[in-house]
Amino acid sequence: MMRRIANLGIIGLAALVCYGMQISKPRYADLIGPIPVHGSMGENVEARLFDVTIEKVEFANELAIKEFGEEKTLTTSGLWAIITTGLGASTTSTTVGSATWQGPTGLRYNHTKRLSNATGLPPLAVEPGLPARGRFVFEIPPSQVNGATLLVSNRSYFALDSEARVALDQLDLKPDGTPETVIPVYDMNRPVQGRSDERG
Amino acid sequence: MFDTFRSRMKTWFTIGAGTIAAILVAGMLGAFGALEEPEIPSFDSGEPIETGQWIVVPLRAFVVTDQRIFGMPVTEGTRALVVEAEMTNRTASSTGDYHSLITLDPAISADKASFVALTRDPHLTPELHPGMTERIAYIWMVPDTVDLPDRLPLTIRSKIYKPIDNLYGTPGWFNEHVLGRVTVPVETETAS
Repeated sequence: MMRRIANLGIIGLAALVCYGMQISKPRYADLIGPIPVHGSMGENVEARLFDVTIEKVEFANELAIKEFGEEKTLTTSGLWAIITTGLGASTTSTTVGSATWQGPTGLRYNHTKRLSNATGLPPLAVEPGLPARGRFVFEIPPSQVNGATLLVSNRSYFALDSEARVALDQLDLKPDGTPETVIPVYDMNRPVQGRSDERG
Repeated sequence: MFDTFRSRMKTWFTIGAGTIAAILVAGMLGAFGALEEPEIPSFDSGEPIETGQWIVVPLRAFVVTDQRIFGMPVTEGTRALVVEAEMTNRTASSTGDYHSLITLDPAISADKASFVALTRDPHLTPELHPGMTERIAYIWMVPDTVDLPDRLPLTIRSKIYKPIDNLYGTPGWFNEHVLGRVTVPVETETAS
């Protein structure tokens, strides 16, 4: 009889250990998820295959773009956020294909796919030793402006590779919650220009 | 003391096994077919409907016959049936997982929408971002031979969130099911 009770006890213990392992071990998604490389604005953030430097963050109400010879104005229910970045490749030719605006509470806004024909948008091919520029365009509500992080990676869905996570600077907001400078119409047809071009 | 405990356990196991066997046999013989199907709720048009991933407000439906709609040509012998809805992404990341959110009566079209467009600028299959409400058009190409009713019945579907899916242990939206039905008026004019 005691033996049976002992057996039952062992089964119970095994179940408890299994349950403990199930709730305490990292999930598959955590194990193969992106490997973050943290950085801040203005700093060169080096991922495994590429490096990224944020040069400018601009906000706009509308985007002007020429698509197939036709002038178009793109509106949004929030704000357009345009991030101009410097990009480089570390050892081999690579493609920077995905950028996400992560808001202060962790909401993730993928880069917009509504602009099909503009220059300087992802996917961007980068070669080692040849610095390039890229422009990432997002649609975000004004509440997501401050405390945001830019996530840049080679692809949207990937495993066991690095993802640059660049913390964006805090901005002064107007009482209505929008940033101080919002460009009424941002011209997407202009070549991608960073801070250094404007100085020179 | 243990003897009585043992016999009592035995009785309980026997009762349990018997009950399970009885339910299984009844199920196999189709006894549950007589159960009433759970009633599918119906919503008012223009009322926000909360599905798992979306807040959707079906607004109106209209028919386009002889022109392009959102840049897509309407081929001869078909009409474009457009259902407009206001949609808000309730999840934490941008997604375009809405193709089977709204479906028609199978008598009109059993398929998912031929294409889905943003009405703001005719961009097809747009990704919708968290908390940003957009007006979306679901477009079906329906043959002329199909009669369209004055009031179009729509089926709204939903999915459930699983923090750990059964295959990879990753979070996601699964198990699509019918959430409810809504009827929208079909506007007769062929405006776009």
